[in-house]
Amino acid sequence: MNVRNTLVGLCLLLLSQFAMADIVVVANPKAGIRWLTRDDVVNIYLGRYRRLESGLTAEPIDLSGEPEIKAMFYRKLVDKSLAEINAYWSRLVFSGQTQPPQMAANTAEALRRVAARPGALAYVERSKVDRRVVIIFEFGDE
Amino acid sequence: MVNAAKPRRKHWWQGILARSLFAVIGMALLLGGASGLIVSQTIGEREHQKAVRALNELLDTVESTASIASFANDEQLAAEVARGLLRNSDVLRVVIRSGERELAHVERIRAAAAPAANPGKVGAGESAALPASLSNALLRPLISPFKKNEVIGEIVLDADWPAIDARVSENAKDTVKLLMGQMALIVAVVAALMIHLVIRPIKKTSDQMHDFGPSSGMLLGIPEGHENTEIGSLVMGFNDLTGRLMSTLEQERALQKQQAVAQRKYQILFEQAASGIFIADRDGCLESFNHAFVELTWLPAQPDKAVYLTDPGWRTPESLLSLLRRCLDDSAHGGLVEDDFILDGQRGDERWLHVAVIPLGDGSVQGSVTDVTLRKKEELNARHLAHTDSLTGFANRTGLQQALSVIAQDSPPFALVMVDLDGFKQINEAMGFAVGDQLLLMLAARIREFAHEKDSIFRIGGDEFALVLASEHTRGTTRERLDRLLVMLASPYEFSVQDKMQKIALGASVGVAFYPADGQDLHQLLRNAELALNDARVAGGHVYRYFEPAMLTAVEHRQRLEDDLRHALRAGDLYLAFQPIVDLATLKTTGAETLLRWSHPVRGMVSPDIFIPLAEEVGLIGEIGLMVLEGACRQLAVWRQAGLDLYVSVNVSVRQIPDDLPPAVVIGLLKQYGLPPGAIALEITEGVLMRDVAVAQTWIASLGVAGLSIYLDDFGTGYSSLSYLKRFPMGTVKIDKSFIRDMERDSSDRSLVIAIVEMCRSLGLKVVAEGVENEAQFVILRELGCNYGQGYLFSPAVRGDDFAQAAARIDAELTAGRVNAIGLAKTD
Repeated sequence: MNVRNTLVGLCLLLLSQFAMADIVVVANPKAGIRWLTRDDVVNIYLGRYRRLESGLTAEPIDLSGEPEIKAMFYRKLVDKSLAEINAYWSRLVFSGQTQPPQMAANTAEALRRVAARPGALAYVERSKVDRRVVIIFEFGDE
Repeated sequence: MVNAAKPRRKHWWQGILARSLFAVIGMALLLGGASGLIVSQTIGEREHQKAVRALNELLDTVESTASIASFANDEQLAAEVARGLLRNSDVLRVVIRSGERELAHVERIRAAAAPAANPGKVGAGESAALPASLSNALLRPLISPFKKNEVIGEIVLDADWPAIDARVSENAKDTVKLLMGQMALIVAVVAALMIHLVIRPIKKTSDQMHDFGPSSGMLLGIPEGHENTEIGSLVMGFNDLTGRLMSTLEQERALQKQQAVAQRKYQILFEQAASGIFIADRDGCLESFNHAFVELTWLPAQPDKAVYLTDPGWRTPESLLSLLRRCLDDSAHGGLVEDDFILDGQRGDERWLHVAVIPLGDGSVQGSVTDVTLRKKEELNARHLAHTDSLTGFANRTGLQQALSVIAQDSPPFALVMVDLDGFKQINEAMGFAVGDQLLLMLAARIREFAHEKDSIFRIGGDEFALVLASEHTRGTTRERLDRLLVMLASPYEFSVQDKMQKIALGASVGVAFYPADGQDLHQLLRNAELALNDARVAGGHVYRYFEPAMLTAVEHRQRLEDDLRHALRAGDLYLAFQPIVDLATLKTTGAETLLRWSHPVRGMVSPDIFIPLAEEVGLIGEIGLMVLEGACRQLAVWRQAGLDLYVSVNVSVRQIPDDLPPAVVIGLLKQYGLPPGAIALEITEGVLMRDVAVAQTWIASLGVAGLSIYLDDFGTGYSSLSYLKRFPMGTVKIDKSFIRDMERDSSDRSLVIAIVEMCRSLGLKVVAEGVENEAQFVILRELGCNYGQGYLFSPAVRGDDFAQAAARIDAELTAGRVNAIGLAKTD
């Protein structure tokens, strides 16, 4: 590969990073959730507890595809790499009882599941948010 | 020498090895104990910390998982972690909490039946079996995996401390055992080295020393490999010392041998010496003495007992001891101190021993004893001779003085009697010394017979004896004895002279003085006894006289008188007086007797009876007699010039004949004054005739040839031997006044006077009666035909100048027949 290609690739990467930087957590508007704190998001996504204020059981949805979004999310949320998150879950899954979040293949499926189930939560790019969901957490707010 | 038996060690533990081992083992035990203690402590602590650290490390390994379990509140995961921890045998209980919630609680049941290392069978509910909190529990807080500072739970881990401690102490014990083992090994090695390097060489050397003969001269061998060590130099030093000792020993032996020889020599000298030799200490305890000492001192044999110098029978043992002390104390004076001591034998015999001691310098003295009995006896004998009269064997005057010199204040009283034989001198002269000695011996025998046992007799002069009558001190008791003494001495002495038995009767004069009444000391007593004797002698002998203080006074008086007499002679206080002699037939004054008068300036007139004997005694009589004769001649010459035809008689003392008044001097005086020889008559007494017949005869004869007439004075008082009248050419006899005085009353006196007058008439001698005092005597004497008379009836003695007047008066009165009227003026 030549130097120009490399530079182009790098620029593209930076651009995309910037472009997809804004990730928010959305929920079914029927869930009755007004707003979540970062701790709430951490505890729900990392299995500490799943019960919401409204009494609903939170059903977090993780992305199995679109790993860059998933990595960005966890980086922003707990400053961990995906490997670390996977190691964490593997220990709990291997000998414990706590279950990791359900997987969605992509953001579209994730949105669909949230729209379909009142307790479901998902992280998506802000640009992908539509009317079916409500934003209950966004980084940088706190 | 030091060749005694080996000084073996009595006990094995006294050896240097044993001591060193004991010391090393002791030190090892002490140090090992101390270090074991410290080590076990240290190890214990370290092991404990190690256990804690191990547990902490264990916790580290599970911390992240536990924190995940805690974060996720996953009990299952927590239990898994807790069980994992409990697999460690040191862990007793594990609790994992998430907040207040206990996620897991597992613990080991420590029952004997339950195997400790069997976790998993316990659940959270069984925690009540243990105390709720264990003080030593490890607490590990759990941090959230997603948030650095958030503590989300904790792990509580209780370790099995007793088990840990048991293991720890097991460890420590093992270590200490190891340590001890090492020490024991070191001790053993040290001991072995010591034995090999030190003890064995020393022992070997020591054994050599023990078998070492001091005289063999061999040297000790140096133990192998020790040539340059301390042991080597010790052995060399010992060998060196031995060499020196050996040579010193040799010298010592030679010296001893020499000394032994000297000792033997001196021993022989000591034993065979004729003198006693001894060594004694200050108290007289004898260290040694020789055979001669035993012999000389009659030392009683007393074996097994300390012998003292004072054991023999010394008369004065204390003075012998003081001799020793003096010797020891005054050693500055050269040391030798000596003296003679008397030894009293068992059988009453005595021995004089000369003891000389000299200090030896060690507080003892060496002394020699020699028998000086012979010398002492000779000395005593010599002294005895000096004090003894060889004829009678009595002590002499020196002896008497010696005897009396010991008179002390408290001496018992006694009487000192002086005896003098009257007339012994004459006997001695007349009959010879042989007879005199015989007489003295007889006299001595009588005195000895008279004396009592306790009395003492002395011959203090030719015929003078002294007796000390013990215990006699009063006149009352002595009177009888003295009477007897006089009687004993007065009985006639019979002895043979040229085979003819002769008898001589002699009286004795005795003077007595008492001690202490008559004299406190020797001098006084002797003098006073002599005075008493003299008094007895003067009294005519055959008497005894006790001393009277008056005698002393008289002697003193006489002494003064003598002085006065000498003075008077020089000063002319003596003058002549003349007593008229009357011819009883013609009743005329025909002559005068010259009398000496002394007018004493203080005493007045002094009688010639007093001062003439004094002058005789002190030797003034010659001078005085000559003065009298010359005075008489001078007076006679004066009278003759005045026409008085008189003769004068002059008394001549025995003492003046012949030398103090030689006939030539008398004749010369007559010529000097122009007097005819018949004008002077010399009156002598019978004493003159008795004294020395030949001398008297010559003297009288030469004067008679010259024409002087000799009067025999005081006739009738002495021996009045008629043979004198025949033998000596005398013209006149003077009858003593004692016969005249009582003549008219005493017929025997008168008969005597008659006889004398008749006898003289028949012999053709003239008679002068002295002391005619009254007319009766005058008448009788005239009737008897006595030629001359002299006395107070006629006139006392008068001064020369007054004589003519007195003579004229006498003649006138006699002529007038008025004898009665004659004045008897007693002016003289």
